[in-house]
Amino acid sequence: MKILVVDDFSTMRRIIKNLLNDLGFMNIVEADDGNTALPVLKKGGIDFLVTDWNMPGMTGIELLKQVRADDKLNTLPVLMVTAEQKREQIVEAAEAGVNGYIVKPFTAQTLKEKMSKIFDRVGG
Amino acid sequence: MLEENKLISDDNIARTKDLLACLERGDENGAREVLDELTRIRETELYQEMGKLTRELHDSLTAFGKDDQLINLAQEEIPDARSRLRYVIKMTDDAAHRTLTAVEESMPICEDVTGKSSDLHEKWRRFVQRDMNVQEFRELSLLIDKFLEGNTDQVKELRNKLNEILMAQDFQDLTSQIIKRVIGLVEEVEDNLVNLVKLAGGTIKVDFEKTKNDHSIEATGPAVPGVDDHVVSGQDEVDELLSSLGF
Repeated sequence: MKILVVDDFSTMRRIIKNLLNDLGFMNIVEADDGNTALPVLKKGGIDFLVTDWNMPGMTGIELLKQVRADDKLNTLPVLMVTAEQKREQIVEAAEAGVNGYIVKPFTAQTLKEKMSKIFDRVGG
Repeated sequence: MLEENKLISDDNIARTKDLLACLERGDENGAREVLDELTRIRETELYQEMGKLTRELHDSLTAFGKDDQLINLAQEEIPDARSRLRYVIKMTDDAAHRTLTAVEESMPICEDVTGKSSDLHEKWRRFVQRDMNVQEFRELSLLIDKFLEGNTDQVKELRNKLNEILMAQDFQDLTSQIIKRVIGLVEEVEDNLVNLVKLAGGTIKVDFEKTKNDHSIEATGPAVPGVDDHVVSGQDEVDELLSSLGF
């Protein structure tokens, strides 16, 4: 299982990476915004995407929309981990096809729960 | 400029000729009268110019004061920025305390493990050197068993504390987002102040930029309690909202 973690803050990427390692996911790659993430995704081999929303360049919501619009990537599980917590934003993410939505600050337990919920649904 | 304010005018030429004539014939009082007249005309001109400038400055300042952007900055954005920065202080404070607490709680565990290890090491050395009777060896076996049993729990506990320290670092991402937003506001205030300075200089026309009001879909960063509306209060509300949408 190869996971791509996208966040513009390296501290947050490290936190998520460590938490994922703790959950047994050791194969993690990183990107700092949608523009750098998209080529990595298109190259193939990524099984799960964890992304922030608010990033310079391409935002997480735009990345999600691009992923869903791509024939090869449209079934990729996407978990959004973000400080954006306006109701309309959560609704927008849901409509764009997000698989899970975690608001920062979050706990290790929340990440674990949302990951397993997504895996249960996609049958992984 | 009005016709009567022109320096070269028939009136002024006539007045100057009068002045010269008065001086030539030694009429001091007459010369003073003409000079006073000329000075009065000059002063009137100056007052009119000053009046015009004052009116322009007043009009510009009134227009500036009525500008929505500046009023909005002063009444809404600055207090809002203050609350956001206070929240940054709170978040960094919380993170520092979370980290310090985890470190303080980890220290005794480390000391306990180190103490027990060196005690066991000492006894084990005596056993290796055959300097131990059967009764002491029985006690040592029990100690080793107890140590290994407790060790798993202690390491687990230490791991939890390390995780706590790891999670406490999320403040950096969140506070940076808030600070970036306040920097944007400071730049806006700076632009407005520069405009004000230019205006006071009276040489450059002020061009007010329209305030951007459409923030609906823009990313706004972490919600600050008591400042942001229409936000969920935490993960539970996110889950509720998503489940109402069929998630």
